[in-house]
Amino acid sequence: MNKSRLKRIGRGIRAKLRVLLSPAMLLYILKRLLRSLLTLILIMTIVFCLSRLMPVEGYYKNADKMTPEMKQAVRDQLGLDDNIFVQLGNFYGRLLRGDLGTSYVYRQNKPVWDILKDKLPISIRLGSMAIVLSMILGIPMGTLMARFKNKIPDHMGTGFIVLIQAVPMVVFCLFIKLFGYQWLGLKATQLFSNWTWEYWILPVITLSLGNTAYYAMWIRRYMVDEGNKDYVSLARIKGAGEGRIMFRHIFRNAFVPMVQYIPSSFLNTVVGSIYVEAYFSVPGMGGLLVDVIKKQDNAMILGIVLIYACVGIIGLILGDLLMVLLDPRISLAKKRGGAA
Amino acid sequence: MKKFLVLLLAACMILSCTAALAGDGTYTVLYSGEVSTLNYLITSTANDFALASNIIDTLVEYDNLGNVIPCLAESWETSEDGLTWTFHLRKGVKWFDCDGAEVAELTANDFVAAMKYILTPEYVSSVAKQVFSSGVVNAEAYYNGEVTDFAEVGVKAVDDYTLQYTLANPVPYFLSATTYVTFMPAYGPQLEELGADFGVDNASLYYCGAYILQVYEPQSQRLLVKNENYWDAEHVYIDAVNSIYNAESATLAPYYVLSGEVDAASLSNDIIDDWTAEHPELVTKSRSDLQYSYFYCFDFDPQYEAEYGPENWKIAVNNKNFRLSLATAMDRVYSLFAEDSENPESLLENTITPPAFAAVDGKDFAALSAFDGIADLLYNRADEAGSIAKAQAYRDAAKAELAEAGCTFPVTVVLTYKTNDANWASQVQLIKDQMEEVLGKDYVNIVLYAGPADSFLTATRRSGKYSIMRCNWGADYADPETWTDPFAAGNNYNFMDKALENGSPETIADLTTYYAMVEEAKAETADTAKRYDLFAAAEAFLIKNAFVLPYRTETADYQATKLNVYESEYAPFGLCNSRYKFMHLYDHYITAEENAAFFAEWQAALGE
Amino acid sequence: MKLSDHHPAVRQLEDGVTDALRGYTDEELFARVPFNEEEAERTGSASYSYWRSTFRAFRHNVVAMVVLALLVIVVVFTLIQPLLPGQFSPTEISKGENGMPLKNTAPDSVHLMGTNATGQDLWSRVWAGTRNSLLISFTVAIIEAVVGILVGVLWGYVRWLDYILTEIYNIVDNVPSTLVLILLSLILRPGVFTIIFALTITGWIGMARFIRNQVLIIRDREYNIASRTLGTSTGRIIFRNLLPYLVSVIMLRMALSIPGAIGSEVFVTYIGLGVPIETCTLGNLISTSLALISTKQAYQLIFPVVVVSFITVSFYIVGNAFSDAADPRNHV
Repeated sequence: MNKSRLKRIGRGIRAKLRVLLSPAMLLYILKRLLRSLLTLILIMTIVFCLSRLMPVEGYYKNADKMTPEMKQAVRDQLGLDDNIFVQLGNFYGRLLRGDLGTSYVYRQNKPVWDILKDKLPISIRLGSMAIVLSMILGIPMGTLMARFKNKIPDHMGTGFIVLIQAVPMVVFCLFIKLFGYQWLGLKATQLFSNWTWEYWILPVITLSLGNTAYYAMWIRRYMVDEGNKDYVSLARIKGAGEGRIMFRHIFRNAFVPMVQYIPSSFLNTVVGSIYVEAYFSVPGMGGLLVDVIKKQDNAMILGIVLIYACVGIIGLILGDLLMVLLDPRISLAKKRGGAA
Repeated sequence: MKKFLVLLLAACMILSCTAALAGDGTYTVLYSGEVSTLNYLITSTANDFALASNIIDTLVEYDNLGNVIPCLAESWETSEDGLTWTFHLRKGVKWFDCDGAEVAELTANDFVAAMKYILTPEYVSSVAKQVFSSGVVNAEAYYNGEVTDFAEVGVKAVDDYTLQYTLANPVPYFLSATTYVTFMPAYGPQLEELGADFGVDNASLYYCGAYILQVYEPQSQRLLVKNENYWDAEHVYIDAVNSIYNAESATLAPYYVLSGEVDAASLSNDIIDDWTAEHPELVTKSRSDLQYSYFYCFDFDPQYEAEYGPENWKIAVNNKNFRLSLATAMDRVYSLFAEDSENPESLLENTITPPAFAAVDGKDFAALSAFDGIADLLYNRADEAGSIAKAQAYRDAAKAELAEAGCTFPVTVVLTYKTNDANWASQVQLIKDQMEEVLGKDYVNIVLYAGPADSFLTATRRSGKYSIMRCNWGADYADPETWTDPFAAGNNYNFMDKALENGSPETIADLTTYYAMVEEAKAETADTAKRYDLFAAAEAFLIKNAFVLPYRTETADYQATKLNVYESEYAPFGLCNSRYKFMHLYDHYITAEENAAFFAEWQAALGE
Repeated sequence: MKLSDHHPAVRQLEDGVTDALRGYTDEELFARVPFNEEEAERTGSASYSYWRSTFRAFRHNVVAMVVLALLVIVVVFTLIQPLLPGQFSPTEISKGENGMPLKNTAPDSVHLMGTNATGQDLWSRVWAGTRNSLLISFTVAIIEAVVGILVGVLWGYVRWLDYILTEIYNIVDNVPSTLVLILLSLILRPGVFTIIFALTITGWIGMARFIRNQVLIIRDREYNIASRTLGTSTGRIIFRNLLPYLVSVIMLRMALSIPGAIGSEVFVTYIGLGVPIETCTLGNLISTSLALISTKQAYQLIFPVVVVSFITVSFYIVGNAFSDAADPRNHV
């Protein structure tokens, strides 16, 4: 029995892959990537222009104690006096050569890429651990809540979701930082180090809280909605077991709209880990963008935006592809637009 | 007798404490302000300075009583005309790399190379002006490209151990200027090799100070380790300084003091109530910093929105009685409650130049006779009725005069503060509350004006978006002249020089007098006592005519710490204040009594 | 749909229909019936009204009704609180015997929630903060909902718009909102309307995308295809076919976007771009008292957090209950 089931699943996966790797689909993906490149250029240009709207005085680090010549040297160094098109041209020229420029304020004279290449993996690690944890916790939780709608598990789950949603995240962070380590009997001034559970456990738990509640809430909502549909009633009438209905029918359909959010919620988690990274001393990307924008470090701003935009666009495409994989009714390649 | 008892008590405390000294150990702290670069030749931020001061030595330094003592220079002399300063360097001082390995000997050439680096515009050093203002010959000309041969700049390595600076004019404060980053050495060949990449991380610079930065992981950790081969290693007692990054260290560090995980934390004004109630024994105060001063400026060229009536304010501010009415109506102690609710009087100052900043013949500059009468002029809580009556008298005089000048009442007063600064917000609310009560809402209408959290000064003070505002200035050298800079022509503090063109005749006359007084004082370089008297007279004139209202010194933080703050270097200017050299690490948090004893002992030593 | 053509069951059904119609003449089968609007609109249950049924279903949820009542009481109270006798103004500074501000006093009969570090009455500040925060979040939620639903539905339904709007989304979503917020804070002065503007300008696109995804899921369902085939206008399909179907999801999302806006305000305050700190908002009250979390003055943090939590919880419960009630399938 198990064997045949495995076979069926294998067939299913093969079929999906066939859809995904069909020439039409590949062409579609290629087209979208090309279009994304255009989007990317637009984004970078807009952000570049916006960053040039910042006050020029902001680039003088010791503005009250600088001679006009010193200010001129700063403007020369950053090329601020050039025509905006020349500045843009220089920027893209460097970018084509793979040079993101050097930081001016955040870590003066350090190449932007050298800074980001250390920070990015840390945030990705933190973010993915948190996302995985919240899927492990959130999806079963939402499923259970829907399965036992208006019964004790549902109420308990609701209580949890409400608590997470109700208290501002910053209060949670502070609370867990102050008391979590005490309860676990750990040193609170842990140093960032690559793989010690003592360091990672609390930041990951804290960061996963929001998403856990989010996943549970929406899975429950979609499943309850789905459970009211005719095909479910039909399945019930046909005498299918409640568990089978839940997982074979409702869950699969309810999961589709969820899936699309996973890549983007990953990005949001990485970007939005600002509180967690601040309170738990994680030297990652969270809050970095806010920080460099406030410091008017243009090269850093552009470098980070470039990375985020790439990840974001790829996430969007991945989200759509995942939807296609899971829901045969949605097709992307046929018509323009589609679920783009 | 009482004083003697205090001293005796202090002596006992010290003895008992010395027994408890940890002697060696690691000092662990949380920090939130990350350094932006280790390149001390180009930076101007306090965080970078604090780190630089511990890894690089200066020509001279200060002891804990504020006396200049030899450091990299064993001795120095100045020529008759005061234009040539010659420093004889200590022999055998070495450069070390970040692993503590010896690299080369430190020579006079390293000072020359460092200065050349600062004066090279492409490295965009933000402290070049401090070299210009210290009077080094041709420094500014070289920076501006008017002189192309660096040999013409007034810094020269006579031989490996003799360094000579030539000045364009006598600069009485030159020695103090050498404790700033601008006169620090850097290993010449390395500067040549790395150029702009100098100091981007801990491996790209060499060390000659008491500590070596062994670990530098931004947003994670900094580890300063004592250099055992340091020329003055016997005076370095703390073995290592371990700084752990946490963006919320201000909130968290106090809790980790309670759990013993960190060795020091500053206690912000919002939690101080709780601490004085729950852990009074741990609360001590940091030593006050002499380098900064806060004062209220009156804006003579307001640029804010027309709805607040900048033109009306301009008429009003040109009236001396109006300015005096505001200056005398402000109960500064009441508003300082927002920054130190325990002891607001301790922050108050009646001069722009902070007390103990400079002294001549044993007399503190801020206590010179020119300043007599200022304390009586300004609001005094002890004599509330009298103070209010005085302010109201100025108000009534101003009202009559201003009505004639075409000013409408109430005058809108734009009081600017920073949108996310809790203490400042609280302070301006207290000021509005109290001043409107004294002067009446039909006379002034104080509008609280929130400036943005980022680019704050650019968006507010520097662009004239205020009527009255708390401004601050930090000394550029240890001489009263530095405190005239924020009011000089072309300043972006109170723009009062603009009133020379379009102000009222009364204002123009006063300002002309003031600028003449400053010029006279600046010209006096031979006789320090006379020079100080002249500067004091000018500053007092400015205050008594209410062009500026002195406000407070740099706040002394409440803190819990294992260090005796009175052991550290005490300098009116420069970086020496943040050195860990000379300081001991105790095995317990300094108690309030111990701290009082340390303070008493220090005060006694200062008095000698 | 194609596969059903030759399916045995389909053939059987066709045969059955043919059999049943065999007894009628062509005239009988195709007689002209005069148009009757009432008849045309008639559905299975004659007395069914969507909104009435929704409210009836909602009323059955006791917990939600109680919470709703409490919420209404709180909202009304924030409005009338300043008019009540014996209230302090939120900016008034109380002074102690020495003439200094009455700082950090514990809750007592005069100051029901104590005073803050400046000596201002926390009770009236919390209510003023709630008032301001609700004003901000309601405005933001409504603007976001209107713009978001409008754009989202068009985006999801009108195919040629999808391309353009997706591009715009990709761009807007990737321009960091902090950059926009900081530029705004330099152009506009920090204040309540600035923050409303800032939150809506960075928030509407999220709502639009949410709606668009919902629309996309049901756009090609059979009943819509049928409707489209029958020539129903786009507008009618949007308003009659799509939106009612989405009411339940939209309501939940809107209910959450009010506490969401309060959360954004807390966040924006945290990064220093919020309303001036002397203006009471829940975000300001929380961020200024965070450091007090385990001190004796923790009540300064707890009170505003309780209010935020209550608002969030009640909107969540009411929103969920309403979205359940709004689902027509729960009406029978």
